Amino acid sequence: MKYLVSDSPHIRGKRTTRGIMLDVLIALLPATVVGCIYFGGAAVASIAISVVSAVAAEVVFRLIKRENIKDILLNFDLTSVVTGLLLALTLPSQAPWYVPMLSSIFAIVVVKMLFGGTGKNLVNPAITGRVFAFIAFQSVMVSGWLAPSIGAISPVAASGASGSVSTGATQLTSMLGGNGLTVSDLDLFLGTGVAGCIGETCKLALLIGGIYLVVRRVIKLEYPVIYIVVTGLVACAIGKDIGLFVPSILSGGLFLGAIFMATDYVTSPHTRVGNWIYMALLGVVTAALRAATKIEVVSFAILLMNLLVPMFNAYIRPRVFGAPSFVKKLKVKLAEAREKRAQKTDKEDAQ
Amino acid sequence: MKIKTKFFCRGVHIDDKKSLSAGCPIRDVAAPDSVAIALSQHIGKPAKPVVAVGDVVERGALIAEADGAVSANVFASVSGKVIAIERRPLPRGGETDCIVIENDGENREVSLKPLQEITPDSVRERVREAGIVGMGGAGFPTAVKLSPKTPVDTLIVNGAECEPYLTCDHRLMIEKTDEIAEGAKLLALALGVERVIVAIELNKPDAIAKFDGVDGVLVAELRKRYPMGSEKHLIYSCTGRRVPPGKLPADVGVIVENVATALAVYEAVKLGKPLVDRVMTVSGEGVKEPANLRVPLGTSYRYLLDLCGGETDDASTYIAGGPMMGATLLSTDFHTRKTDSGLLVLTARQASIAAPTACIHCGRCAEVCPMHLLPMDIDFYTLAGDYDMARDRGGVLNCIECGTCAYVCPANRALVQSIQMCKQKLREKR
Repeated sequence: MKYLVSDSPHIRGKRTTRGIMLDVLIALLPATVVGCIYFGGAAVASIAISVVSAVAAEVVFRLIKRENIKDILLNFDLTSVVTGLLLALTLPSQAPWYVPMLSSIFAIVVVKMLFGGTGKNLVNPAITGRVFAFIAFQSVMVSGWLAPSIGAISPVAASGASGSVSTGATQLTSMLGGNGLTVSDLDLFLGTGVAGCIGETCKLALLIGGIYLVVRRVIKLEYPVIYIVVTGLVACAIGKDIGLFVPSILSGGLFLGAIFMATDYVTSPHTRVGNWIYMALLGVVTAALRAATKIEVVSFAILLMNLLVPMFNAYIRPRVFGAPSFVKKLKVKLAEAREKRAQKTDKEDAQ
Repeated sequence: MKIKTKFFCRGVHIDDKKSLSAGCPIRDVAAPDSVAIALSQHIGKPAKPVVAVGDVVERGALIAEADGAVSANVFASVSGKVIAIERRPLPRGGETDCIVIENDGENREVSLKPLQEITPDSVRERVREAGIVGMGGAGFPTAVKLSPKTPVDTLIVNGAECEPYLTCDHRLMIEKTDEIAEGAKLLALALGVERVIVAIELNKPDAIAKFDGVDGVLVAELRKRYPMGSEKHLIYSCTGRRVPPGKLPADVGVIVENVATALAVYEAVKLGKPLVDRVMTVSGEGVKEPANLRVPLGTSYRYLLDLCGGETDDASTYIAGGPMMGATLLSTDFHTRKTDSGLLVLTARQASIAAPTACIHCGRCAEVCPMHLLPMDIDFYTLAGDYDMARDRGGVLNCIECGTCAYVCPANRALVQSIQMCKQKLREKR
């Protein structure tokens, strides 16, 4: 007779880490496909290089750590694929081959594996990889934005003409710089004629992915919504113009960051309430930094807030079931103080 | 009459697999050739034997008496000769003295003296005398619960049975509706409360319908949710009262008793029958013929499995109790105790035997924790050896070990085991 020992609970839910990562990959599919259509072969190559070097970096690192190759392959949890893909989606399509490669190796090795692998990283690897590229390859990341091959449906000015090779700046930078937009809100939403990273231009594709994640209960609906709405509102407040709301949430990498990066489990707070505050603060930081620096800062804002997550986890904790609420505790304390004072006056009266 | 229930928003919905045995009427088990009756079948001190090896006893005869206030009498479940008093292992580890009785097949029976009059005191005394303990799993002596230190106004009879696979309480509620209601009223009399609520999950509509027609009890229809049967959550769902951390249900004026306990009280008071048997579910995909059985205490698990047609070829994991909180067995050489509600055999497909992977901080455990704790923090600090932080940040001492966190964990972390270890270490330190 053979006895298999299981720990209680002896039955488990069907969710696995790999399954969740697969869901994220599926959710990224629309954005990836649209990015490849918009930016052509260069985008496909960039994505492939990034994903392959991310996976290779993880496997090689674990081999150097003398892990069993069979273990690595059997327990491969797809997180490095997600990192590689997300990173590629935040890079410009015409970036030379070494940009996605070096950035994703940096993301996996330095940001993830050196801190202990899956679940142990302090900051989001993909975000940090992008920031690495931004600093290391500034010429590529600041000025060399390419508009997609599909032109704007309704250009505001003639400059956003179809098939323009290089606009030099994204719609967001031009808006922040006070030059105004050259395309309509609809174009911003669809990414047509809008220069930008491979994956960030088509908000519709990102939105479809986000809805998939919400339906599959990988992320919560309110998290990206809070981030996006707060960013828009703060941008309006800073610019003192309610009309800024739609263009400021639709331009730049806000949707990509809010749906796929800020909601990363490892680098966001543990609790639901913690996440609400985290997302709202992210919105404030993003809008404020955008106004101050006049460039796209979603990645910097998320990186900054990632570093504060341990603080969120230390101070924002749920109240144990049945424990008195803060207000109740305060009331009890006040009542006690009142009683003490009453006793004191009684004593004084007696004296 | 049905009452309004509250909604506790944590917990998890689990495929309950109750259909395997829900349709099987309770079968009486013929007394086995020998029984081994444990002296420790409850929380508190083990009972003291009052028989010696070689004595001849009848079914229902007192063989060990309560040692102190928090303890319970133990009775012989078959008639025959005491052949040994020896140490036997327990399913959850540790061991206890057992009185082994060889069945002589004569089925001689004794019962307790009929009660002269039914008063709160006489009921309480009879419950103590009959060795009745909480039969939902904890095994707290019922007589102690019947003299609460704070005034109570509500008795909840727990028929939630939220553990998957188990159907013994369900069957009891259908087959012994009036007896359970009667037992509940006796308990209410002993406690001096007017309000008796029978709490049943919505996945047992037939039981709800049955109790709906009974006079003098209220029925609470509970949403199907694990862990609905947890005392604190049951009280919240039925009355809206929250039991503060470290307090007892009696502190909010409620006493909770299991349906099987209510039935045992009825039998002890009205029929003079001490606690010598209990109904348990033998089920799981690894059992050929799942069944609900009325089992004499001390019957071996092997005997029960053989009665149910034995195991299938792919049977792999044996569990005493429910699949969420039960204990894995390393052999079937254990004997039924008062608190056993189920014996499950799972196949390798159902049982969770995958190795744990790294925590990805998804927060699902915190989201489903019915006690609003942070299991991932407890796990982290416990594995790091910082038990004080696990207590302060994770709130480990409030954990009810229901296993909901580990059920939803995508990384398959052994959260319950971490929690148990942490509690143990904190206990040692004190």
